[in-house]
Amino acid sequence: MPLLEVKNLTKSFGGLIAVNNVSFSVDEGEILGIIGPNGAGKTTLFNLITGYLKPDSGKIIFKGEDITGLPPNAIANKGLVRTFQIVRPFRHLPTIANILVALNSPRGRKRIEWIKTPERKAMDMLEDVGLSDLMLEPAENLSHGDLKRLEIARAMALEPDLLLLDEPFGGLNPIETEYMVKTIQRLHLDGHTLVIVEHKLQALMKLVKRVLVMHYGEIIAEGKPEEIAQNEKVIEVYLGRVI
Amino acid sequence: MPINITKYLWKIYTEFTTRIYDIPPRMLAFLSFIILAAIPLMLDPIKLAFLIIANIYAILAASWDLLVGRTGQISLGHAIFYAIGAYSTALLYMYFKWPLWLTMPLSLLVGAISALVIGFPCLRVKGPYLALLTFALPFSVKGFLYYYSDIFGGDAGIPPIPKKLYEFFPMLSGDQKVIANYYLSLGLMAISAIILYKIATSKTGLTFVSILDDELASKACGINVTKYKLMSFTISGIFGSFAGMIYAHMVSRRVDPLFLDVSYSIIPIIATIIGGIGTIYGPIVGAYIYCFLDRYLFQYIIPYVCIPLGNYTVRIPLKDAEWRMLLFSAIVVLLIIKWPRGIARAIVEKLEDLEEPREIEEIEKEKKLQV
Amino acid sequence: MWQYVLIQGAISGVIYALIAIGFALIYGICGISNLTQGAYFMIGPFIYGVLKEVLPNYLPNLSSNTILMLALILSCLITAIIGSIVYRITLHPILGQEVNILILSICVCIIFQQLVLITMGPGKAFMFNIGELLPGMLAIGNVEVSRGKVFAAFFSILLFIALAIVIKGTKIGKAMRALSEDLEAAMLMGINVEKIFMLISGIAAFLASLGGIFYITTTNYNVSLWMWLQGLAWAFTVVVLGGLKSLKGALVGGLIFGYAETIIIKVLPKGGLIIQSFPFIITILVLLIRPKGIFGKRIEME
Repeated sequence: MPLLEVKNLTKSFGGLIAVNNVSFSVDEGEILGIIGPNGAGKTTLFNLITGYLKPDSGKIIFKGEDITGLPPNAIANKGLVRTFQIVRPFRHLPTIANILVALNSPRGRKRIEWIKTPERKAMDMLEDVGLSDLMLEPAENLSHGDLKRLEIARAMALEPDLLLLDEPFGGLNPIETEYMVKTIQRLHLDGHTLVIVEHKLQALMKLVKRVLVMHYGEIIAEGKPEEIAQNEKVIEVYLGRVI
Repeated sequence: MPINITKYLWKIYTEFTTRIYDIPPRMLAFLSFIILAAIPLMLDPIKLAFLIIANIYAILAASWDLLVGRTGQISLGHAIFYAIGAYSTALLYMYFKWPLWLTMPLSLLVGAISALVIGFPCLRVKGPYLALLTFALPFSVKGFLYYYSDIFGGDAGIPPIPKKLYEFFPMLSGDQKVIANYYLSLGLMAISAIILYKIATSKTGLTFVSILDDELASKACGINVTKYKLMSFTISGIFGSFAGMIYAHMVSRRVDPLFLDVSYSIIPIIATIIGGIGTIYGPIVGAYIYCFLDRYLFQYIIPYVCIPLGNYTVRIPLKDAEWRMLLFSAIVVLLIIKWPRGIARAIVEKLEDLEEPREIEEIEKEKKLQV
Repeated sequence: MWQYVLIQGAISGVIYALIAIGFALIYGICGISNLTQGAYFMIGPFIYGVLKEVLPNYLPNLSSNTILMLALILSCLITAIIGSIVYRITLHPILGQEVNILILSICVCIIFQQLVLITMGPGKAFMFNIGELLPGMLAIGNVEVSRGKVFAAFFSILLFIALAIVIKGTKIGKAMRALSEDLEAAMLMGINVEKIFMLISGIAAFLASLGGIFYITTTNYNVSLWMWLQGLAWAFTVVVLGGLKSLKGALVGGLIFGYAETIIIKVLPKGGLIIQSFPFIITILVLLIRPKGIFGKRIEME
């Protein structure tokens, strides 16, 4: 049984159809990429799956359970966790407090092994992404690259079954990008299932085993990265013409 | 090895508890408490009156600050809780003649339940609508009170209810009563402050601040924002009612619609903005400063302000209530523009900066290394 | 009877729309949750009343009608200037901090209220009679309505048309619309946000004070101390009923509210008493059911 099934998801705003009858599924342990030009509906899709928007029609099934229409915090507590394209840290709290908030959710509290205090666990998460030095720093003082890593650490604090990363490479320089690639690879090796929306195709294609391509709210192609790179429709969509 | 880790963890915990929750070192709080406790030795009991009220206003302001400064829900009508506390305790006594140790907790319960009732619609209403709604709520309830004046006593209110102390210590005389009242109010304020401190430094308090900071991110972390908002509403309501209840028992002659006056909605705002929004000590310090200014300085020391304008001299009678309300509103406006986080907090932050200049240098160095 | 309701409801509705439109401009277009509109709603009529008494001393040879018109225009202009200055001094520095803006604007309202109270003295401030706009009644069909109200409604409609033309047609109007879409982008485009917001605040204050004067001089003729709260309540209700971002919405909302009020007063025996809390009840109900108002865009994610 797939971990996540999206069936016939549709969402329109006024007259504009943002997501048009989208269906796909994600198996456990997979690492799936979703690409497409700006405005293709990728972030809207994320918002629909994670409960920030209500679909006009369609269903979302996670671990066999219908989660369509549930509020975002309920979905997060079921193990479907997302990061944000534009980082949303808790700016006035120190870095470690950002993690502690997530650890205070129902899911965070359940999963804490009894031997570690929440503070200890938060410190470990920060160490995993290399932010230990900035533990006590108010989040607003962190650089963009650090904040991206904090997003991931905070999402990981919930020990997700499925992690949705919304443009994790956005705004990162080459060194930070490399670090992020390694971090995501490590997450995958640890057994986490990942769905990544991304623009930076070089970084993404190295990581994922399967790619969905979206355009005008529809999935126009699906397959392995190598196949997608050769796909005529995809090239046309990105470059505007057939080569 | 294990001992080192524990010490290290404890150090980190206390260090960041102090920094994020904006509590000044406990020493400072403890010292101020000692000073406050020693005041009756220095002042004559007449002047103690405004300190008693300062303590009560401090509790009211702290309850407001929890709601607005920690979870970001605007309440411009906090007088409603003040009145609910006072009226419920008076009504319970008047109609059922139950003993005080029963009516007082019950009125707190009434405060909590009404906070939930008020809180529910407040969650759905946003921004200026919420502000206006909460502001107008005490007025509407006032009309309601007058309409049912056979139950609520209308203008005259509810006849005097037993003063707490006279119940417990009937043998005290005049001056001693005031001193005893002072210590009681100080103790109650300290207890409220400690409870609110414990809440603020707990995981719940952290969650509150996360909601204020970024509600959507909080939801993404699995936090049930609605539940926590209602929780903060309830706690705020309980302490607001507590303040009203103490005032009814300790100070006022009777419980009348004056408890719903707009000034009781504005006073917590003034106190908190002066002291520092989002902190524990802010509203308390602000309440003291406000009471000092309003009841002492502007009534006895500077009752008039003379401003020479050309040939004329403008004389402003500060001892009139209208001028004081105007002055305080103007002070709030000024403070919000210049020091939105409160004067007391600005001072505390300056002190902290002076204390640890080395840390700032280290942070700068780190920032340069990161690029 | 329905003829009375039809006409009277429309007239009241237009006046309510006028009261609300300043708020719709500031909240809907600028995105500023500015409650100082209430203060201008009260200050306008107050200044009008003062000018009405004072002007004849300085310009004795003008007819009384001219004095009234002059007082009307001057008081609205003065209020507009006050509105601009108040915005620049108090709101502009704290743009973006919504909680602080709300607290501050309520305090500004209270400051103005206290100023009026102090000027009038505690006894009189509750009832400051500023007279009638136009005495006498006019007959429209079988219905008799007061001339003042008709004039006010007519003038308001002219204002709406003028406003609509300005916003859709002129460069400044385009700038305003750009600001409402995306503040940062507008700033990057070189639009001087400060000046435009000051202008909008001035216009909104003008409209609020005009609405206040029209309402008072055609209804109960008395400026009362808490009328700013009442004005705000009406403005909110109208805006909630009609949707946030459009002039059209304010007009529609005003008409709905005007009709509702007229019907209730006619139908219920003690209608007058309920009218006080009516705006709040409607607002709460509508907001609970449709948080963005009836015509507002439904945006579910902030």
